[in-house]
Amino acid sequence: MDWPTNLQMLTAGLAMGSIYALVALGFVLIFNAVGVVNFAQGEFVMVPAFVAVWLMDMLKIPFGLIYLITVIFMGIFGIVFQRVAYYPLRNRTFLPVIISTIGVSIFLRNGAQVVFGAEPLLMHRPTPPNVLKITGVFVDPQYIVIIVCTLALLAFQYFFFEKTSLGKKMQATAQDKEMARLLGIRVATMIAITFAYSSILGAAAGILIGPIFYVTKEMGGLLGLKAFCSSIVGGFGSVPGAVLGGIFLGIVEVFAAYYISSAYRDAFAFIMLILVLLFRPQGFFGEKIAQKA
Amino acid sequence: MLKVEGIETWYGAIQALKGISLEVEREEIVALLGANGAGKSTTIKTITGLLKPAKGRIEFLGQDITGREAEDIAEAGIACVPEGRRVFAGLSVMDNLMLGTTPRKHASRTEIQRDLDRVFTLFPMLKEFRDRLGWQLSGGQQQMLAIGRGLMTGAKLLLLDEPSLGLAPVLVQEVFKVIKEINTTGTTILLVEQNARMALLIANRGFVLETGRVMLADTATNLLANEEMKAHYLGAHAHIKEARERRRRL
Amino acid sequence: MNPRTAKSLLVAVIALAVLVFPWIVNSSYWLNLVNLAISFSIACLGLNIVLGYAGQLSLAQAAFWGVGAYTSALVATRLGVSAWPGMIAAFAVAGLFGVLLGIPTLKLTGHYLAMTTIGFGVILQLILINAIWLTNGSDGITKIPSPRIGSIELKDPSSFFYLAAITLILLTWASIRLKGSRIGRAFLAIQGNEMAAETVGIDTTYYKVVAFALSAAYAGFGGALFAHSGSHYISPDTFSFDQSVLLLVMAVLGGNGSAVGAVVGAVLLTLLPEVLRFLKDSYMMFYAAGIILIMIFMPGGIAGLIQLLPVSQRLRVWWNQGSATTQQVAAALAAGKPARGSLPAAVVNGPGANGTLLTLKGLAKYFGGLKAVDGVDIEVRRGEIQALIGPNGSGKTTILNMLSGLYVPTGGAILLEGTTITGRKPHVIAAHGVSRTFQNIRLFGELTVLDNVLIGQHGRSKAGVTSSVLQPSSQQAEEAAMRGKALEMLEFVGLRGKEFARANSLPYGQQRLLELARALASDPKLLLLDEPAAGLNAAETETLVELLLQIRDQGITILLVEHDMSLVMNVSDHIIVLNFGKKIAEGSAEAIEKNQEVIDAYLGTEVGNA
Repeated sequence: MDWPTNLQMLTAGLAMGSIYALVALGFVLIFNAVGVVNFAQGEFVMVPAFVAVWLMDMLKIPFGLIYLITVIFMGIFGIVFQRVAYYPLRNRTFLPVIISTIGVSIFLRNGAQVVFGAEPLLMHRPTPPNVLKITGVFVDPQYIVIIVCTLALLAFQYFFFEKTSLGKKMQATAQDKEMARLLGIRVATMIAITFAYSSILGAAAGILIGPIFYVTKEMGGLLGLKAFCSSIVGGFGSVPGAVLGGIFLGIVEVFAAYYISSAYRDAFAFIMLILVLLFRPQGFFGEKIAQKA
Repeated sequence: MLKVEGIETWYGAIQALKGISLEVEREEIVALLGANGAGKSTTIKTITGLLKPAKGRIEFLGQDITGREAEDIAEAGIACVPEGRRVFAGLSVMDNLMLGTTPRKHASRTEIQRDLDRVFTLFPMLKEFRDRLGWQLSGGQQQMLAIGRGLMTGAKLLLLDEPSLGLAPVLVQEVFKVIKEINTTGTTILLVEQNARMALLIANRGFVLETGRVMLADTATNLLANEEMKAHYLGAHAHIKEARERRRRL
Repeated sequence: MNPRTAKSLLVAVIALAVLVFPWIVNSSYWLNLVNLAISFSIACLGLNIVLGYAGQLSLAQAAFWGVGAYTSALVATRLGVSAWPGMIAAFAVAGLFGVLLGIPTLKLTGHYLAMTTIGFGVILQLILINAIWLTNGSDGITKIPSPRIGSIELKDPSSFFYLAAITLILLTWASIRLKGSRIGRAFLAIQGNEMAAETVGIDTTYYKVVAFALSAAYAGFGGALFAHSGSHYISPDTFSFDQSVLLLVMAVLGGNGSAVGAVVGAVLLTLLPEVLRFLKDSYMMFYAAGIILIMIFMPGGIAGLIQLLPVSQRLRVWWNQGSATTQQVAAALAAGKPARGSLPAAVVNGPGANGTLLTLKGLAKYFGGLKAVDGVDIEVRRGEIQALIGPNGSGKTTILNMLSGLYVPTGGAILLEGTTITGRKPHVIAAHGVSRTFQNIRLFGELTVLDNVLIGQHGRSKAGVTSSVLQPSSQQAEEAAMRGKALEMLEFVGLRGKEFARANSLPYGQQRLLELARALASDPKLLLLDEPAAGLNAAETETLVELLLQIRDQGITILLVEHDMSLVMNVSDHIIVLNFGKKIAEGSAEAIEKNQEVIDAYLGTEVGNA
């Protein structure tokens, strides 16, 4: 067993898993709030990545400020998205909604190409690449940044949802919309905030992963699908499930690609999905899916 | 306090309420009774704003609230403990109770603390389990929590929809005792119940619904003695008996 | 002009159009594009079957298209044979892959199903890229031969066009035939209301797999056409998730459920980028915005839009004049039968010899800690109307659901005429002669009244996929017999004249009658009714009482769950009262009315000192 390599892979897996977790969280929050699966969630990562790169090239201001602007931009983006893509279809069956969010995904991908060109872009790194050596192997410090930032974000989210009154209202809305209304909770506002927050999670993911991979219009595609797989594996509808599912998938992917087959790297997410759906459809943390007569 | 006039409400293609009229006076307990499917829950949903009536008028404390949104009606001072309790399963007892204060825009901290203490006195078990999550409570405890949450709204009118449903008889007794106590401290109550007898024992007046209409309206004492009540629940109407005889002779 | 002449004229016009098309469109470039559009159209026709008819969302259609392309290309290039065996193999192999996808996804619906099909597609594409020994990987397969007819090689686009167009027309025709047949109706029933479809006797598992198989087979054939035409080159890049999305959009744009719509959508979206070339890079953005707008404003697609026009209603009525169905319905109407007929005598097995039809022994159903039904013994005698009553939550509907197979009992046994049916699947129980109606009406709302009753007879008919498409005289005779029966049922419940109305458009009371007619159409021995009077007014309840008595007089046993006491008291031979999952009383209406325990259960008991 080559332990230094394993450690390197574990770090990479945790980092990728953190990204999956952030995107999966975004999915689950929207799903819990309005019962819709957002096939454009991956683009919620791609758009802020492009915005950040563009800002970095245009303005000579500190990265921190650029990240802040990007996050605010995505917050507004989320609210606009809810108004345009979800709201008109909120009472329809799931097929029009799925196709509509797929439409948004295509629109954003090609919009990015029109606005930013077809060339893959390079996002400036906040950390230099080759400075960290753990047990004799180089570890990309950006991985550490990703893991730390994700942990910070999760901590913030935990605090927000569990300790603030607004967070409690949002949880209540997700659990029982009608009862929330009966208590005077403005459900429409809660939903708007949910979409905004979900987009902000995407912004975080985009900013964190941009420096490692090229920023391209396709970067959100597979990412979104895999994140969706991980939320199902963790237990669809469960917030901790989404996080744990994402991290689990990130690690499994890296190790499976190394030890089993790197050519089929992208397949492992879906293989896991199919296995889970066949043998334990509620995922590891979710509830059983049932139907009433 | 509450005046409902000629309400007609539709559920998709079915007309669930065909002209309901009732009133609730201050500090009363009014029982809304009737067999399953008579329209009791639909009436509650219409009053709370979850359903909008096609015709009719609802007036609360002199204000016309017909067709207003549920959130606004909650802020106007009507609280609802809906059928099936519906506590927030993933949130703690304390959270559930505090969420009850949402419609109170002008309450001070002291007022809220006072109401919280009152709820804990009524339901000592809730104080003990304040950190337990909603799904961890038993049916009876959830019912207590739902009522407590309703009280935390400081509402002047409390609507209770089938509070005894699914509870063991001993708990039913508890619940009705609490409802009576709440009323003596000043809250007006509109109570929907399948267990007509229990409801009438604590109520001042009652309305009996059948297929979307008010069939009987009287004081609770009179209703308890009324043999016709049986007819509305068990289909022992005279005209049905006649139809049966006719058919048998054929 | 009568429809028959019009139909022959249409065929002639189509044949002529196909013949002269390559002369009119004199450019290789455009003809290649048309051939591509045809290949897509066939894939979309397949998607139309699994999604438009059976309602199962498949986002793997491009993968099957790819499987077909590769199968045909490999057979032709590796085995050195002509294109034809490859094309047939493509159809079969893709179909097999469809079965492979269908089976594990059976319990999944909605977005879980969608994700699984996506995963399937992604994995297949990765295999195409990486199984280099078989597929040549990313380099793809080149020099795929054109099909030959005798010594003529269909090499240039115009000659290939004839092959493509003919197969497209045949497959479209087959799809349309399928839709109007027993199999098509089964698919539509599954989409409309899967639970009701099961209880009516449709093995939803089997039919969903068939739908996947057919759709994959179609796509496979389309892929084969693609491989042997155009640039005669295929590579894995083409068969991506994005391509599956494109096929989905084509099908939905054309109109979900319309075969012709699927073709129109495919052709439009293949040719549109050419026409809109001036938009350059922004084309895709317009395309995407268009998709969103269509979903908001035109969810029925082009076909849906056209169907809404009043002129198309009249056109359809005129076109269907000559059909066997219309003629049969008209004949029945003209025969001047009374407005409400009586149930054909000896519908099932004659007025019953007294005997027990159904036995429930110690039946129990626990949901976690909740004992919904706690050890119930019931005997239902043949030829009687029995009612199950009790306050809210007493377990009545749970018992009905166990009887029809929707719930598996936790304990106890159910015997029908001595055969154990405990825990069997709904369609199996239906085959034993049990029919039911539902508390919240479960009709196939988008289908016609007549179709709803025809679907009720699914279990008593036989036609399979091949007969449904080819429609030999045996199938036509079966359809005619089914129609006749359906018309009798509709007459019995009083819905004569409404045969072609959409089930959803009927007023509530008539929808209940339709559900009853559907349940009777299968000649049941036992009819389970779940709150049949819910939402009915007094007059409608009277009608229902009459119908139920007539049904019983013909020998059908009825078990009904009901809250409406007027119905129960009037109609029941025997009443069983439940409370808290247990039987607390049984007897005649008079006995029950006076039973103190029953009164207490309904009116409530005084508990302690309140």
